[in-house]
Amino acid sequence: MLFGRKQKNPIKIADKKVDSWTYATCGYCSTGCAIEVGKNEQGEVVGTRGVAGADVNRGKLCVKGIFEHELFKSAGRGNTPLLRASTTEEFQETTWDKAIDHTAAEIKRIQAAYGRDAFAVVSTGQIFTEEFYTLGKVVRGLIGTNNYDGNTTLCMASAVSGYKRSFGSDGPPGCYDDFEHTDCLMAWGSNLPEQHPIIYWRLKEAKEKRNFPLIVIDPRVTMLAQLADIHLPVNPGTDVVLQNALLHVIFAEGLEDEAFIEANTNGIEALKEEVAKYDPTTAYKICGIDEDTIRNVARLYAKAGAAMNIWTMGINQSTHGSDGVVGLNNLSLVTGNIGKPGGTSLSITGQCNAMGTREWSSCSGLPGYRYLENDNDRQEMADFWGIEESFLPKKRGLPQTDIFPAIGTGQIKGLWLVATNPMTSMPNTPRIRKILDKLEFLVVQDAYVDMECTEYAHAFLPAAVWAEKEGVMTNTERRVNMIRQVTEPHGQSKSDFDIFKEIGKRFNSDNKMTFADTVSDTFDEMRELSKGRLVDISGMSHELIEKSRGIQWPYTQDQADKGETPPPGGKRLYTEPGTFSHADGKATLIPLPFIDNNERPDAAFPFWLNSGRLVEHWHTRTRTGKIGNNNKYSPIPFMEINPDAARELGIEHQSYVRCVSRRGDAVVMAMHTQRVAKDAVFIPFHFFDCVNRLTLGLLDPHSRQPAYKQGAIRIEKIKDQQAAAQMSKEMRTY
Amino acid sequence: MFEVRSDEPKYAFLWDKESQKKNRYGENIELTEEGNVLRDVSLNINDDDGIGENPNRYKQHGFYFNADNCIGCHACEAACSEKNDNPAHISFRSVGYVEGGTYPDYQRLNISMACNHCDDPVCLKGCPTRAYTKYAEYGAVLQDPDICFGCGYCTWVCPYNAPQLDPIKGEVSKCNMCVDRLEVGLKPSCVSACLGNALEFGVIENIPKNRTEAKAEIPGFPTTDITQPNIRFQQTVPTHREMTRTDGMPLKYHRDDEAGKFVPQLDEKEGRKRHWNWKKLLTSHESAHVIFTLSTQAVLGAFLLFVFSFMPGLEAIAAITSGSLFVPALSIMFVLLTYGLFKLNMHLGKPHRFYRGFNNLKHSPLSREIAGVSAFYTCFMGYVFLSFFSHPITQTFASICAVLGAISGLLGVYYMVKLYQIKARPFWDHWQTATSFGGSLLSLGGALLGLLTVPFTTSTELLPTLALITLVGLAIEIIGHIFHTRDMRKTSSEGVASWYIQTTRFGKSWITRNILLSAALLLSVTISLGSPKLLVASYLWIALFLLVLCAAVISRSLFFVTVIPTTMPGAFFWKNKQFSEHALETGLAEMEQVGVAHEAHHPFKWDELLDTIKTTPLTDMVRQTKDIIFFK
Repeated sequence: MLFGRKQKNPIKIADKKVDSWTYATCGYCSTGCAIEVGKNEQGEVVGTRGVAGADVNRGKLCVKGIFEHELFKSAGRGNTPLLRASTTEEFQETTWDKAIDHTAAEIKRIQAAYGRDAFAVVSTGQIFTEEFYTLGKVVRGLIGTNNYDGNTTLCMASAVSGYKRSFGSDGPPGCYDDFEHTDCLMAWGSNLPEQHPIIYWRLKEAKEKRNFPLIVIDPRVTMLAQLADIHLPVNPGTDVVLQNALLHVIFAEGLEDEAFIEANTNGIEALKEEVAKYDPTTAYKICGIDEDTIRNVARLYAKAGAAMNIWTMGINQSTHGSDGVVGLNNLSLVTGNIGKPGGTSLSITGQCNAMGTREWSSCSGLPGYRYLENDNDRQEMADFWGIEESFLPKKRGLPQTDIFPAIGTGQIKGLWLVATNPMTSMPNTPRIRKILDKLEFLVVQDAYVDMECTEYAHAFLPAAVWAEKEGVMTNTERRVNMIRQVTEPHGQSKSDFDIFKEIGKRFNSDNKMTFADTVSDTFDEMRELSKGRLVDISGMSHELIEKSRGIQWPYTQDQADKGETPPPGGKRLYTEPGTFSHADGKATLIPLPFIDNNERPDAAFPFWLNSGRLVEHWHTRTRTGKIGNNNKYSPIPFMEINPDAARELGIEHQSYVRCVSRRGDAVVMAMHTQRVAKDAVFIPFHFFDCVNRLTLGLLDPHSRQPAYKQGAIRIEKIKDQQAAAQMSKEMRTY
Repeated sequence: MFEVRSDEPKYAFLWDKESQKKNRYGENIELTEEGNVLRDVSLNINDDDGIGENPNRYKQHGFYFNADNCIGCHACEAACSEKNDNPAHISFRSVGYVEGGTYPDYQRLNISMACNHCDDPVCLKGCPTRAYTKYAEYGAVLQDPDICFGCGYCTWVCPYNAPQLDPIKGEVSKCNMCVDRLEVGLKPSCVSACLGNALEFGVIENIPKNRTEAKAEIPGFPTTDITQPNIRFQQTVPTHREMTRTDGMPLKYHRDDEAGKFVPQLDEKEGRKRHWNWKKLLTSHESAHVIFTLSTQAVLGAFLLFVFSFMPGLEAIAAITSGSLFVPALSIMFVLLTYGLFKLNMHLGKPHRFYRGFNNLKHSPLSREIAGVSAFYTCFMGYVFLSFFSHPITQTFASICAVLGAISGLLGVYYMVKLYQIKARPFWDHWQTATSFGGSLLSLGGALLGLLTVPFTTSTELLPTLALITLVGLAIEIIGHIFHTRDMRKTSSEGVASWYIQTTRFGKSWITRNILLSAALLLSVTISLGSPKLLVASYLWIALFLLVLCAAVISRSLFFVTVIPTTMPGAFFWKNKQFSEHALETGLAEMEQVGVAHEAHHPFKWDELLDTIKTTPLTDMVRQTKDIIFFK
């Protein structure tokens, strides 16, 4: 064997000389991976690693988490607060006091002139739970606008709504441990390898130990669809029909769990009556899945010892989003698959703390899954916060997707955006542009000053990002996990917690409401509020959470007092019969008639438009678009198009094309691939001035979540490729 | 030693209990025997003198890739880049893919590939500076950027695109097998990070738990007989008959049922339309090679004509050597040669490390070429200098220079041919490389000599002599092209893709080259038969020279620009040469996070060179020189 040199130099391998590791939870998706961030002796952040003993990720991280430490130094961060009188002027740097004073004064002015609800607040799923709770206190208890929502309306509203309708409360009942026990898994519009790679790994580990059928329902041949035992390439927007047909077969063949239905549910007769209309032959014509396959899957699913449904945006982002969730809950309930190991109906959440905002932000209700519509809940919260009960509205105000149109029509004059970027993330962004331009006052609170909405802002408040601050987040499986502060906030930026409190102060001159000094004390306040609720976290503390590498709720004071250590995982909801959150303890089976209201392809706009996430990017790329080792895998937007369709249009692989919908147009690079059907295209949603210039975003009647994934476009070949390349480049400032 | 956490997950630890004696190529897996001097020494990782306690420390290790499982999530690449602190444009491991089928019967086969730490590391053999070492520990092939002078030859010879030439730093770096982790019993970072349970690692030929096969074949993977790579695959899910690439490479892979494997085939992605693409052709990174090879061949050719002018039939050339044109002609040739060598040296990533080019005479054809051409240059310099004098002693020395120069020059050109005939670049691995270089030696040598003499002489013999020499050179080159084209278009390798690009993307330039060559051939025939006189002869010769030169420049540029290595398939953006070029052209690459880097200017750092001279003890210099000559 040839070895080469005898005289060898020492081997040099990069050594980051990590001196200390700080515990955190990943701030990207909802998987909730535990991360340690490494600092060297000089205190510089130099590396990341997965926490080996954390049950969620067991030492693993995805491509985003691995480079999350580069966030702190990434470009485009806000340094100082900025103000301007009009959006035609340049921003002027200012002090925090002036910025907050001005913001508060503008809010008061608008509320005085047009009414309390004329100022709206749109928050996020990105900040910490204590921050959400504090924001809720400020908005509900002090500012007092009912037009307050989170951007979670864009991702999880349908899941929330569906859970509430079926089970009486939000709160995903399952957990990752269910993969270890299930005998059949159906994944609906969920592409784990791309969207939640660590959850995929957990699934893969389980499947390698004990193989079970994986059924994937997705119109696109995603990686998960390709790896599935059965792939159902369903017609876009027809999941409910497929669900009804599966139920039809289950009832027709007597495969339902009668005992479970009897003990746990209401409404079986109405459901049976409705699904009777969806025999597989009829369903096939709508959903595109042949009758044999429908029967086969129904039997496989219903006969499995334990079977689970998971889903993500393929279900949620639809005009039948809430119905789709209810449909999956129906399937789970009818087959007795709720609250048992491997049998569940688990929404795979989007943002890192979408759950936290659902639980504690008071966006669509009051903290701890309390409802504005419930007199007791209002009274309880008013007393707890020290405000008048009458100050709280008796009904939820506008969700995010209705707030923007209300700005357009003039009911809302001012807006506070917290860590959300509707200029990229909302459907039909040409309309959003016009809407934002109408605002008398827009305050943007974000870590990134180059975030596109600042174009229309009057005030910009620079926020700390992720582990520049401290707090907890809740993941998909209801695990509350800790983020410790790794480094000081960038420039003069402040934690969202501090910013909320500062604004709160301007509305709290009589000190009627008290705010805890620290994040940890705020957590204690939430703990108190959680006692006896479904979302009981009263046994937890920051220290115990970090020590346990995250704790799933519920974990009660009682358990803690008894010395019960929180289990590493495997905690489920509704494990006892008749313990659902509806008043009678039963879940509701809801019949789901199908109404086809999608914008469907036609002669003028012949392609289905689908959008979705890429593993290397996070949402609107304000973060990952600046980290080379993430961004390089897709630095510019592209469109998957079937080669057969492309050939007919004369569109070459890797050439720029123009997509046109009834809303607007977008320039993307065409990628020929048989991953998509001949009448369908896929464009990632991360890019500014791109796919959401095309989307219609018809709203779900229950959840008000937009149907991003069903729309129609046409595709035009671009002759001047150089001009298109320049155009595409100009739109990518990061 | 690398830190092993107290709660390090089980999957991160190496698992080999037993191993086989020999690998599939018949090599010992245990790389050294007990008591060998290569044992029980420290790897000196970052000057740590500890010795790892890995029980399999002296066995060949390798990556194992289960293609059925890879989800293309980039975690392996990210973990690698995070550990090695690599910027976006450098990646020791990359994931590309091939795809097949028709919706919804569609299949994407992701392929994650790094260095295969080969039994026969062609990088080690090819590297002129001896920056590579194959360690007896784990069989890791490691490269030392501190030795490298950034020529990038290892990136040419490696069939897997493992060594990464950094256009900013001007040096190569590559996968180090995470030997620091291996020393403490941990798998490499990329393997520990895998989220699809696709990547594994262990003693070569060992099949990981729950896996069933260990083959060395997968669609898109080059043939193993080039380097005997230490990678094993599992791929049991049926693939489609035809698997295509999403990157710009005009290649696809077709299943050969009889051989039971996939063979590369042409995929005419850009149709049959012919283009000019002058800019891309004439201003590539390899332009320095074009200038160097052509100027060396021209000057060496002319020089050889002088040296061999004693032979019958070359009397007219012999006459020049004693005439007044001799010294000016030699001087111009010297300037030309110097320029070529200068361009070559300055295109190195670290031009001030030029002297390291001789380090690997034992194995590297590039080293030998550098040595041959350098010796020729030295002898030629002496020859030119001595030609200014007419003393018998200087004449004797001049003759010695001539003989030595001719020998070293011919050796240099021989290895110049050899260094391009590499298996990882099928387009070059053909005898046409020899006819092209040899042909240029005669045609450019003859044409150059004619340009320097014909307009200034009244000799009637010279013209037909030189015309004939040029004609022979052109004929040799043309014959080579004809056979090369015939062979490449039929080949089942990357060669056919090169042929396709040559005749489409550069199709019009290629045709122009063919016309120019034919015209030059006709003109040289005309001149050698017609024997024109004086002014006409001068004009004709200038025309001939220009034809030969233009043909040669286009021809040589095509040679460099159209070659396609046997690399793994890329992805749509990442590791897609066509997108990288697009990013550079449109200015997208200005954003660092696009992961495409512009080539930086690499200055000749005198201070570094002087520092090296000052700080290297004489004994080291002697030892290093000895090592070059008596390479063990």
